[in-house]
Amino acid sequence: MNIIETENLTRRFGRVAALEGVNLTVPEGSIFALLGPNGAGKTTLLETLLNVLKPSMGIARVLGCDSRSLGPEQLNQIGYVSENLKVDDQLKVGALLAFVRKLYPTWDHALEKKLTDTFDLPLDRRFRHLSRGMRIRVLFVAALAFRPKVLVLDEPFSGLDPLMRDDLVTTVLDLAAEDKRTILLASHDVEEVERISDRVAFMEAGHVTVADSIEALCARHLNVVVRVSAGVAPTIAKRDSWLGFRAEGDVISFVSTQARSTSEAGWESAFGPEAAITTAPLSLKEIYLAHARASLKRKD
Amino acid sequence: MLPFAIQIVVGGPIAEQVIYAVKRAVVSGNLRAGDPFPSVRQLSRELRINPNTAHRVMAALVEQGVLISTPTVGTVVSGIAPGSRQERSALLGHEMERFVVEAKRIGIPLEHMQQALVKHWRELGKE
Repeated sequence: MNIIETENLTRRFGRVAALEGVNLTVPEGSIFALLGPNGAGKTTLLETLLNVLKPSMGIARVLGCDSRSLGPEQLNQIGYVSENLKVDDQLKVGALLAFVRKLYPTWDHALEKKLTDTFDLPLDRRFRHLSRGMRIRVLFVAALAFRPKVLVLDEPFSGLDPLMRDDLVTTVLDLAAEDKRTILLASHDVEEVERISDRVAFMEAGHVTVADSIEALCARHLNVVVRVSAGVAPTIAKRDSWLGFRAEGDVISFVSTQARSTSEAGWESAFGPEAAITTAPLSLKEIYLAHARASLKRKD
Repeated sequence: MLPFAIQIVVGGPIAEQVIYAVKRAVVSGNLRAGDPFPSVRQLSRELRINPNTAHRVMAALVEQGVLISTPTVGTVVSGIAPGSRQERSALLGHEMERFVVEAKRIGIPLEHMQQALVKHWRELGKE
């Protein structure tokens, strides 16, 4: 079952399309990372899914419900952590949690207590007087203590110190390991989420350029370097599935995006019988960079 | 705490790194036949890895005969299972090639490679 599905989801601000034609499915039980530079549309996508923003076109379904008609039944199962959340920051942390507690029928008091202790929350201080890191921790407790079925995190770890980050990661993984809970998180840092995610979508200028499981991405991308016979290089026809294609002298290099698919079977023979071919797997970060560079080039 | 040592290198295939670390612990005697093995949840939590990845690690280790999963006791170490033909040829083909390429590149004589192999062989097992 898919917890989140979008079809041709588009959101414009005036003339600018912050999201354009996004088709995305987030299966139940996955930790799904949206990766992209600042301004790629990650936050707009999350806010559209959660009905903070209305789509200009297309549709988003969350927990089987059209995002525009999300009601308490769905929202009571969705935890959301973002710096953009509107919080009455005059409230003290204790009062804030007391307020949130009443909103959720599934609120787990023992878990709230445990997280409050783990994160060392200062219950008698006003939210507005807290550091950024401490604010994020308060938001995490508010989003986790009702054991949401879906957890949506917008840049949850950026700018946090390593220890705090590690505590949050463990807490999030604990929730994920409970039956089939789904986590959707946005980040601009590939390495930050590579370890904990199993699926990713790359975003660039309002578009989702790639969406797949990390396992499948790593399996189908290969770094290819070919030494061809003298004079052969200029005759090689570049394929659409090759990113970052370069030829220098008799050496050709590119990233193959479909290295093991049947449509690419026999690609080696394109370089002639004398070619020496070496291939190497790529890390998620390298795959991400190859696609990001390719979409920059397309824009030019 | 996990009963084996590992340093995960981000960028490499995480599941494979964990599988290797477990096998290494079994071969070196850190993990012995009958020892209880952590649950998927513990593995995910302690290593800060995706629970689905942890699940894949467990499934692969059970399939390869390194772990045995029982409904009553949970998952335990089974000891060293003789490798499948595929595993052996993968090791001899791919892994060995890496050593040989490196050794030839920096000019280590075959004799030194053999000595190093014997030394590590002895360090890791009683054979």
